[in-house]
Amino acid sequence: MGASRAQKLSGIQKQVLSLYRGFLRTARSKTPENRAHIESLVSAEFRKNSHLIDRKNFLHIEYLLRRGKKQLDQLKTVESVRLSSSNVELPDTKTQ
Amino acid sequence: MASALRAAILGHIRVPVVANGSKLLTPLWIRSMSSHDDHLEKTQVIDRILDIVKSFPKVDPSKVTPEVHFQKDLGLDSLDNVEIIMAIEEEFKLEIPDKEADKIDSCALAIEYVYNHPMAS
Repeated sequence: MGASRAQKLSGIQKQVLSLYRGFLRTARSKTPENRAHIESLVSAEFRKNSHLIDRKNFLHIEYLLRRGKKQLDQLKTVESVRLSSSNVELPDTKTQ
Repeated sequence: MASALRAAILGHIRVPVVANGSKLLTPLWIRSMSSHDDHLEKTQVIDRILDIVKSFPKVDPSKVTPEVHFQKDLGLDSLDNVEIIMAIEEEFKLEIPDKEADKIDSCALAIEYVYNHPMAS
């Protein structure tokens, strides 16, 4: 997600930014401490991935988007949850 | 809407010109007729937005002007862009939809968006 000349975002870039925004919006509803925690975690994670993963590697990006959406859904529903920093590559466990 | 009303009124009244040639500003009573007089002044919007951008940790405040482009001039990335827009949302008590937010990538666009937004405060 490096600097682009003109901001012509691809569909997948928009999805990533939308997810990022989703996390930050959800973080607003948490306590200030949790909010700061979530923001720094999410920010670090997104940036790390933006450097690690080739921007054309749609498969991986889409995997991360799916995973991120699930995490965001959990964050939204569970009250005052601290986002865990586990980056463990678990296979997708069955959700109800 | 208020400015159209104001323009219509001004078009119909004659405002007395002061003899000593000083510029007469819009009489105060006309401003008080505007129902949306709480609309922000552009200079206020500019100042508040510049403050937000300047206090962004990754930004060099000395580079911030109303014309700067977040990514091209300030070296930020698109994630930073999102963060700045979120900060602007909080400052002006707005919610900016994704479609609009994706387009705001410079101070100028941010200023224009906020200034034109009827709900900005």
